[in-house]
Amino acid sequence: MSTIKEYLSADHERCDGFFASMEDAAAKDMNNVSEAFEKFAYETERHFQMEERVMFVEFEQKTGMTQGPTAMMKHEHAQMRNLLKEMAIAVESKDKNKFFGNSETLMILMQQHNMKEEQMLYTMAQQHLSAESGRIVDMMQSMVVE
Amino acid sequence: MDLNGLSADQAPPISAPTIFFLTAPIFGIIAGILILLSDASILSNRYSIDTMVITHVLTIGFLSFVMLGALTQMLPVLAGVRIPKVDIVTKISYFFLLFGTIFMIFGMIGNSPKFTLASSLFLGLGFLVLIIAIFIGFRKVENITASVRALLTSLTFALAIILMGTYLLASYGTGTFSSLHLLLANIHSVWAIFGFAGVLIIGVSFHVLPMFYVAPRFKRFCKQKVVWLIVIGLILWMFLNIFFDAYSVIAKIWIATFFWAFATTIYIKLNKRRRPVSDVTVWYWRSAAIFMTLGTFAWVIDDFFDGEYITIVSLLIGGGFIFTIMIGMLYKIVPFLVWFHLNAKGYMSIPTMTEMINKKLARIQFILFIISLIGFIISFFIPSLLTIFAITFILSMIILEYNILAPMLLYRKIIKTKPDFDMSVFSISVDGIE
Repeated sequence: MSTIKEYLSADHERCDGFFASMEDAAAKDMNNVSEAFEKFAYETERHFQMEERVMFVEFEQKTGMTQGPTAMMKHEHAQMRNLLKEMAIAVESKDKNKFFGNSETLMILMQQHNMKEEQMLYTMAQQHLSAESGRIVDMMQSMVVE
Repeated sequence: MDLNGLSADQAPPISAPTIFFLTAPIFGIIAGILILLSDASILSNRYSIDTMVITHVLTIGFLSFVMLGALTQMLPVLAGVRIPKVDIVTKISYFFLLFGTIFMIFGMIGNSPKFTLASSLFLGLGFLVLIIAIFIGFRKVENITASVRALLTSLTFALAIILMGTYLLASYGTGTFSSLHLLLANIHSVWAIFGFAGVLIIGVSFHVLPMFYVAPRFKRFCKQKVVWLIVIGLILWMFLNIFFDAYSVIAKIWIATFFWAFATTIYIKLNKRRRPVSDVTVWYWRSAAIFMTLGTFAWVIDDFFDGEYITIVSLLIGGGFIFTIMIGMLYKIVPFLVWFHLNAKGYMSIPTMTEMINKKLARIQFILFIISLIGFIISFFIPSLLTIFAITFILSMIILEYNILAPMLLYRKIIKTKPDFDMSVFSISVDGIE
């Protein structure tokens, strides 16, 4: 069983893979990008929800920090959701420039966000929640995306 | 654990890195003008005053300005480091480095000992203020990653080369040169290129290549061992250089091998990257890998020619590798900073990153820069051509300045308008969270 840090870090890498496939599809043909975009958007949303509805809740309960790092990460999730909406519009209108403009921004924002989580928040979560690590990973795995 | 780097509020103000970024190409232009005004035959001598001034306008005025600016922005993200009082520290450091570099030009070229001594003091202070502040920021870091180790190693080399450089420059001010002057100058330059800039680039690329291009992550061996192996090589090289110079080529081969391997790794990783997008930054990284490969071979071979071709080695490694990567990084960092700071302030209807810099102009700038680099190498053999390539270099730096200035002007323009959302609700203080 992987730890919280291992599980969520691996999920970042999974999402990177879907991101690359989506850009690949868009580079080839904007008419056929919907499926790859939906897949990436769904997996990213699933990742956000695993954090917001499971891991962050456990972390906040354990540490009492509700306005600290988790609030900042939720704020960045909101920024990324906003970019995903812009990308959805670009996919709909087949606007390649707008799509890649937003995907470039999302990519760097996402990677910067992931790095902060992997280096700081997940490490901290692992320290505070090590005893419950297995249960939390189970809950994240079985979570249904809303 | 210091989580201050996690929020936009706690990220350094946009002015901290950008004052460095906006000034760097101006020093590039000044260096180009100095090349234009210099005698080509004098420039092939590494110890001539003109060569030293031009080299340091480029290495301090351009490279160090970009590296220090990038560090203020990237340290919170890459390493969780918060530089104490980052706003004031960067401004003080910038002031001293700016005037230190200008005084160095006047002092050395104008043969004014007072300016030279002042420049030695100013440059020493400018570097030390920021680097010591960064070291203080590192004290709170618990999660020591490969990047953190590389950054610390690079900054340790930086401290050593700053102390050596300050002493060497002061020697020109006082007019007294110790018997170790040339030896120190040699150590200063090799440690600056490979120890400070080289290791810094390696440490940053562990993150940046997978981050910007979804390239495969670096192997554990590479992340854990390469920096140490390079450090061993650099210390061994210094030891051999002082006591058994005839054998220093062994350490050179050692260092060159790892940098060559690194350059090859960059190229392979870019080939294997999962993002299909190929922009000017990819071209910069690829060129850097090629120039570094050629540079490492040239550095070793040059040893058998008693340093006759060291100017070419410097152009290949200093210009082709370090300078090239710095420009590539600027094209990614500056638009992102503008977008990030505007977004964090609640501006949602803003241009995307790719719309902030004119792609065509970025391509022209790249082509002019590469032509200049190759041209400088050709000019070593045909000095009469130097004027042409000094002009192409100046043009490339003018365009670079414009390309960096354009997103900043956009930022200025947008910030004067009303944001789409009031983001004050997100102004979360995280002081005290450890």
